[in-house]
Amino acid sequence: MSETFGALLSGFAVALTPINLLWGLVGVTLGTAVGVLPGVGPALTVAMLLPLTVKLDPTGALIMFAGIYYGAMYGGSTTTILLNTPGESASIATALEGNRMARRGRAGPALATSAIGSFVAGSIATVLLTLLAPLVVEVALRFGPAEYFSLMVFAFVTVAAVLGSSTVRGLTALFLGLLLGLVGIDEQTGQMRFAFGVPELLDGIDVVVLAVGLFAVGEALYVAAYESRKREAMERISGSLWMTRDDWRRSWPAWLRATAIGFPFGTIPAGGAEIPTFLSYATEKKLSKHPEEFGNGAIEGVAGPEAANNAAATGVLVPLLTLGIPTSATAAILLAAFQNYGIQPGPLLFQTQGALVWGLIASLYVGNVLLLVLNLPLIGLWVKVLAIPRPLLYGGILVFATLGAYSLHQSVVDLATLYVFGLLGFLMRRWGFPVAPAVIGLILGPLAEAQFRRALAISQGDPGVFFTQPISAGLLALTALLIALPWTVRLVRRLRGRRR
Amino acid sequence: MPPGLAGARAERVLSLGVLALGIVAAALAWQLPEGGGYARIGPNFVPKLVAAGLILLGLWLLVETFTGGWRSRVPDDPGQRGEHAFVPAAFLWVSAGLLAQMALIHTGGFVLAAAALFACVARGFGSRRWARDLAAGLALGLAVFAFFVHFLNVNLPAGWLRALLGAAGT
Repeated sequence: MSETFGALLSGFAVALTPINLLWGLVGVTLGTAVGVLPGVGPALTVAMLLPLTVKLDPTGALIMFAGIYYGAMYGGSTTTILLNTPGESASIATALEGNRMARRGRAGPALATSAIGSFVAGSIATVLLTLLAPLVVEVALRFGPAEYFSLMVFAFVTVAAVLGSSTVRGLTALFLGLLLGLVGIDEQTGQMRFAFGVPELLDGIDVVVLAVGLFAVGEALYVAAYESRKREAMERISGSLWMTRDDWRRSWPAWLRATAIGFPFGTIPAGGAEIPTFLSYATEKKLSKHPEEFGNGAIEGVAGPEAANNAAATGVLVPLLTLGIPTSATAAILLAAFQNYGIQPGPLLFQTQGALVWGLIASLYVGNVLLLVLNLPLIGLWVKVLAIPRPLLYGGILVFATLGAYSLHQSVVDLATLYVFGLLGFLMRRWGFPVAPAVIGLILGPLAEAQFRRALAISQGDPGVFFTQPISAGLLALTALLIALPWTVRLVRRLRGRRR
Repeated sequence: MPPGLAGARAERVLSLGVLALGIVAAALAWQLPEGGGYARIGPNFVPKLVAAGLILLGLWLLVETFTGGWRSRVPDDPGQRGEHAFVPAAFLWVSAGLLAQMALIHTGGFVLAAAALFACVARGFGSRRWARDLAAGLALGLAVFAFFVHFLNVNLPAGWLRALLGAAGT
């Protein structure tokens, strides 16, 4: 414990150097500014801003990314409340109540409870991350390749099959990602796979190209085709920004409950913030003394989901930093950012690059404070960003999106790949395929394959290794249970129905 | 989408697409060498596994189209999704912008390619103000070019504007 505290203190020494503080500030500001843009979620924000960090040292770059990650989420809430266009599924709950509040002239308190709630939840979740991470690292240090592989299979299945509305479409997205992850040179043997001799494909498909293709190009095609002729009303901020005493009284229990819901969900591979925000919304609706206000702008319905969203987003960093396993699309892109610097997150990172990891964690505390200080005073500026006409907005988004892909190899091939992924993203959105499993499959697939082959090399090709080691066997059993459970429940229900 | 491509027919086409992708991947995977080593599996094992998975998923999707359609499907009627009917011109303008950028970037340079992309996308989103859109695209392209080339030292092609932008680009 005291060891953790010491490590965290040295982390603050890193995060509070003027230059790193500056990168943190640049990160949260850029993250909020881009995250505010309608249709730009956190994953796309991080992916589009990735090229900006090419010149920074790893620590500075990752601190900036932590800021972008948090800022993007704050920005997204503002958009949701004022425009009612949730940039990501985790914001849908906020849209329900926050936009209604704005329509009733209470945009100010809605934005305030969202910002302060995010700060409270983010800070508590960061404390929990600080305490939990070293414990997970302890356990993870004992993991061998077999355990890692089984853990990744578990993550694949929860993200693709258990979440989402359709198991088969989730798995299809995952396998598309896995297939794309195979493209390039096999690291162990140097064998070229699925690259057709195209030089740009030899070092694999960059996760940024896939993410930007699906999230930016695919979205732009979709929104242009199906939503661009729609008129959207932006709610004005009238009245006070401040929360009344009653608003405070109703908000703080919601923040705390939401943190308790959001953080655990973030740490397990449960696809990020979508489930906890809805759980928090349902909880608040149930516990509220004013259930009649839900659907018409109940402040608990904004306070809870927003806090849950932030707590989950921080929780996602636990498996990402300690195990190297991304459990949301945004985390997958953060992992790509790490890899760009030749850093592979995992338990060893805490030992070999302690200053970097703890500097990053300390910068999360700093980032939360910066966002609270920046966000409410600058709200007028964010509203101006929101008012950019759609044609110009999407023109700008695509210029930045293509820039990120092009600057990888200075090659038209990457732009063509980007467009193909854009078409794919259009089809996936139109026919209800989730996108996150594809992004996670692309980046985690090669890591899973490496662990799989390493485990088999150690066991001299005996696949029993995955089933005889207790941790690995337990994880695989849990995975099988997760797949089987919904089917069994359905089967039992059907049989019971027949008997009656 | 074109009117004929909706409902079960579209789902069948997409299911066959997944199946075909799996079959092509399998054909390629089977051409990869074994080269097992200690692990007894080589670079071809996981590709075969993934290809098999895609084939199974394609079949599963296809079976669903014959048994009442995909489960929990997205409504075909855009109105039910809170959207308007498919606007082909919008889709094509955004695509044209991306293709124009690919065609221009190594000849006309980054700035002009960005301006063309920007203006076409804006047109796709319903803007009719070509002059304003081109000007905004040029300004954005120039700003990004200056920032990346002079501040981040990332090379971007200057193209036809080389004389104007200096020799910084490639």
